[in-house]
Amino acid sequence: MVGMKEGFVKPRYLINLKTIKELDKIVYSKKEGLSVGSLTTWTDILSSRAILQYYPILREAASLIGCHQIRNRGTIGGNICHASPSADSAPALMVYGAQCVISGSRRERVIPIEEIFCGVQKTSLKPEEILTGFRIPTPDPKSKGCYLKFSPRKAMDLPIVGVAALIRTANGTFEGVRIALGAVAPTPIRARRAEKFLVGKPINDESIRKAAEEAVNESKPITDWRASREYRLGLVRELTCQAITQSLQKDIP
Amino acid sequence: MKRSKIKIKVNSEWHELTVPNQKTLLEVIRGDLHLTGTKRMCDTGECGSCTVIMDGRAVNSCIVLAVEANGKKITTIEGLSQIGKLHPIQEEFVAKGAIQCGFCTPGMIMTAKALLDQKPAPTEHEVKTAIAGNLCRCTGYIRIVNAILSAAERLRSIQP
Repeated sequence: MVGMKEGFVKPRYLINLKTIKELDKIVYSKKEGLSVGSLTTWTDILSSRAILQYYPILREAASLIGCHQIRNRGTIGGNICHASPSADSAPALMVYGAQCVISGSRRERVIPIEEIFCGVQKTSLKPEEILTGFRIPTPDPKSKGCYLKFSPRKAMDLPIVGVAALIRTANGTFEGVRIALGAVAPTPIRARRAEKFLVGKPINDESIRKAAEEAVNESKPITDWRASREYRLGLVRELTCQAITQSLQKDIP
Repeated sequence: MKRSKIKIKVNSEWHELTVPNQKTLLEVIRGDLHLTGTKRMCDTGECGSCTVIMDGRAVNSCIVLAVEANGKKITTIEGLSQIGKLHPIQEEFVAKGAIQCGFCTPGMIMTAKALLDQKPAPTEHEVKTAIAGNLCRCTGYIRIVNAILSAAERLRSIQP
């Protein structure tokens, strides 16, 4: 909408999907996990009990988007289809292993969220396809995590860097680790090397620091008017450490 | 330019209009309905000056297409005062000196109204969070927050 008003988005046709009632539903079951329609607003996500209880990282990300007015209108599907590298919901959806449900004129397909992003504001959606929603499996009940966003303003701002972490530990070691980063590459990314490094390592500062170093190595941020490449890399290091540490301190939901 | 017929309820009165599809709700409110209390400032959803309440929720009317508002109930700043008497939120803004140049005021008050309708006893932090999308470049935020808090108290005493 803003892009159209400022003239850098010039669609030939505009089709209103917002009157399709089936696309704004939140349905949860322990077995099937969460199903969220793409037209679900952030305000509705913030008032969902299932999301509060089972997907607190998604809730944390939702609470940091825009402001009341924006969260009342902005949708989870819109945030992902805009395919901004800094989309707040992307790292959260990634660590939960969310899948995108895509409907086309001939068939429906389901892909991991990583595969919907092709580049800055580019998705793998074909011209006749729409994103109808997300399927998110129930996280392991022993896992815990958080989303950290670094931005100059506390509201109405994009992250300079955003980091989500979901962690499971056992007997003093990291057992399962998922880390996702926003605004450090042309698309939101999983920090897979950091994840792989951490699994099986003892829970201590040294493992966390080394994992954060891996996350820095797999980030490819740019310099723009928000921040320099070097500053962003510094933030990846710091925020990854903090995200892992804070996740460890959380109570199991 | 394609046009569509829409029906919107603004301040308890239904209006039937034929509008160009690109027209925003803000342009309809100000240009067609001549309700100029709702302000146009950034025009890109950044500043909150054009805030109105649509189906119970505060929205930036500059980034809502009029066709999207079809069938919906909208309250603008003009809809708050009853029989010539200001709404308690408006009175508290005046009493607390929460108005300087006044340009952000209608948006601030509509955001406050949406908040207090849902949460009659907000904390100071909740008030600040609620108005995070409303910019006051005179930076009179402290008085605005105080006005909203005391309006909440007054409204609670009227409708316990």
